[in-house]
Amino acid sequence: MTKPLDRRTFLTASSASIAALLFSGRSAVASTVPTHPTPRRGITGSKVLTREQLSKTPALIPLFDSIREIPEVIDGIRCNCGCTNPPEFYSLLSCYEAKGMARDCVICQGQGRLAVRLHKEGKSLDQIRSAIDAKFA
Amino acid sequence: MILRFSFLAALSLPVAVEAQIRASEIGTISQTIDGTVISVEYSRPRARGRDPIFGTKAVRWDEVWTPGANWATTLDVSKPVQINGHPVAKGKYSVWMVVRKGGPWTVVLDPRSHRYHMEPPDSTKDQVRIPVRIQTAPFTDVLAWSMPELRMDGGTLAMQWERVRVPLDVKVQPSLVSTLPAGDAAEYLGEYKFVELDSAGKESKVTVFNITHEGGTLKGRWTPDDPYMKKFALIRISPDWFVPGVYDESGTLYEVLKPDITVEFKRENGKIASFVIRDMEDNVWGTGTRKR
Repeated sequence: MTKPLDRRTFLTASSASIAALLFSGRSAVASTVPTHPTPRRGITGSKVLTREQLSKTPALIPLFDSIREIPEVIDGIRCNCGCTNPPEFYSLLSCYEAKGMARDCVICQGQGRLAVRLHKEGKSLDQIRSAIDAKFA
Repeated sequence: MILRFSFLAALSLPVAVEAQIRASEIGTISQTIDGTVISVEYSRPRARGRDPIFGTKAVRWDEVWTPGANWATTLDVSKPVQINGHPVAKGKYSVWMVVRKGGPWTVVLDPRSHRYHMEPPDSTKDQVRIPVRIQTAPFTDVLAWSMPELRMDGGTLAMQWERVRVPLDVKVQPSLVSTLPAGDAAEYLGEYKFVELDSAGKESKVTVFNITHEGGTLKGRWTPDDPYMKKFALIRISPDWFVPGVYDESGTLYEVLKPDITVEFKRENGKIASFVIRDMEDNVWGTGTRKR
């Protein structure tokens, strides 16, 4: 887990993250999709990238592991990073599968961490969606 | 020979179609303000030694003129806005100006966006008609639209040509409300002990964080002062969650750190007891505990 040392460092780091996002061809603007997706029946976390697939970004392994444990929640959340265009994309869960956009995208990571934390706190899917909309939409 | 000619023709044709030297080249400006995209597309006539332009055969007084050339200049707004206080619905409009010698000009936004400059529209109820006071400006050779002034809630959209400047104040729909009623603010007010954490999650610095309610806005401030944040607005995004809004030297909000920073308050026995500051990636940056 990376934590900022001070407010200036923190803000610089945030700006750098956004810049990296933009220069990687991804948009940081909020998704125009008006609603969250409905979790697919029988969805599993089997496609979430594994420890082996994350060997270049080991710091993210715990996050991906947490996402894998609650696919029925993560699949009911839309991603606000602008990556909703690929046809194979369905939900925030998709960011943690296949090409693994969440490996590079701080918005995907932030939404994922927030969802995992609120789920652990006992929040419902609707409450998690509201919190994610408040912070990221 | 025929083959060679055909080959050359095939090579040159697309170029001939795509590249065209125009007296009034096409230009566009686009500006996003708090999620509202404001775009102007126009052909840009040049003065070409003509001075003056207004009040001559180029642009006659009392003419309904499109501030551009060829196809009428268009204004496209992705969400409803207000221009000089006049509501303008989301959509694309052709832009016209009634050019007057002495009095104020009138900017006309016509929902029939695709019109040639020789076909100025008659007055209709669908139009937005905005009286504007023109300004004098340094000579501008090529007609230019720009947004030289931006605020958090809007900006100035300006047309400039010859020595005329037409400023339009554009206000967008704010995505956040920076004010908080005194009754709602009361439970957050007070002094907190703030503990900043390092990258390992250990205490790195202890400061004091004060929350006040001033001018209808909840405000936070560290002691000692944070040189960037100074006294900043705490803008509510959901019950007990706030984001910081940073003020410029004139006391105007110019940046909202969302989703960069979230201040999440926690309650004990229904009362605000502490808060956690998290970054975009949901990492804890520091915690505050109420002192009084």
